[in-house]
Amino acid sequence: MSDKDEVARRLIDWHFRIEPELQVIYRIVSPNEDATEEPIKLLEVSGATVETGRVEPFAFGPAGDISYPSVIAEISPAEMERVRQGGLALPAGWSLERAQEHVRPKSADAA
Amino acid sequence: MPPDRDEWSRAYAKQSRSDFAIYRLLAAKGQVAACHPLHYLQMACEKIAKAYRFRDTATLDKRLTTEHVAFSQFIMSFLSSAAIKQRYRGRDEQLRQIRKTARALAREIERLAPAVDPETSPSNAEYPWEQGGRVITPCEFDFSNLSLLRAPGGRTLLRLIELAIVDFDEIRIH
Repeated sequence: MSDKDEVARRLIDWHFRIEPELQVIYRIVSPNEDATEEPIKLLEVSGATVETGRVEPFAFGPAGDISYPSVIAEISPAEMERVRQGGLALPAGWSLERAQEHVRPKSADAA
Repeated sequence: MPPDRDEWSRAYAKQSRSDFAIYRLLAAKGQVAACHPLHYLQMACEKIAKAYRFRDTATLDKRLTTEHVAFSQFIMSFLSSAAIKQRYRGRDEQLRQIRKTARALAREIERLAPAVDPETSPSNAEYPWEQGGRVITPCEFDFSNLSLLRAPGGRTLLRLIELAIVDFDEIRIH
């Protein structure tokens, strides 16, 4: 596992731990994913988010143990369904084809 | 004839949108000190709050143009609006949780303006302040109180701010 994969895994695990309504996270993998400057890209499906009818990614610089830039878009389960049906576009360059799916682990809800 | 409230409202909304775009640009840059994107975020939030209050409330013009405390009040009104009620239909518990997170983070964002709470919370995104006998510089401060903006609850707040800005013409708070 590459350093970037480990950092992405850490970020994903943390998000599941702190957000009980987070259901699935898709890590979007680009053709140039190995490039250091390429951010970790996550599409997060959350039952708690507001529906806006847009997939709006927010970018963050590296901080603490998340040593790569990240770009994260949060959508609701209904919006995810619209993405699947082609009714809602993903950000430019994002595709679910090569995305890694991370389903909420049971351990995230352990007391 | 002086400009009317609608003109002020549209101008604040437009400036907020521009400030928010710069926040997003700066937040994506790893080499930029945290105070800079947060400063733009604070300004974007203050201005969109004022845009809605100019248009949808009877708050006095003078208060709206001079005070910095506007966002935390606004976001709670926004979360009580018909537009948000409709988006959270059947999800009362989730909305309750978002209100809690939004209230806390909105207050912290508001405090980034140096004039808001200099006595009890002197840390701000613009000017050095004294703390424990030392002078703290904003560009060297980590603003850990706002690190939750990176977490899912914080991102929902960012998404709400974005919604308030982009759908300004469609959404009313009163």
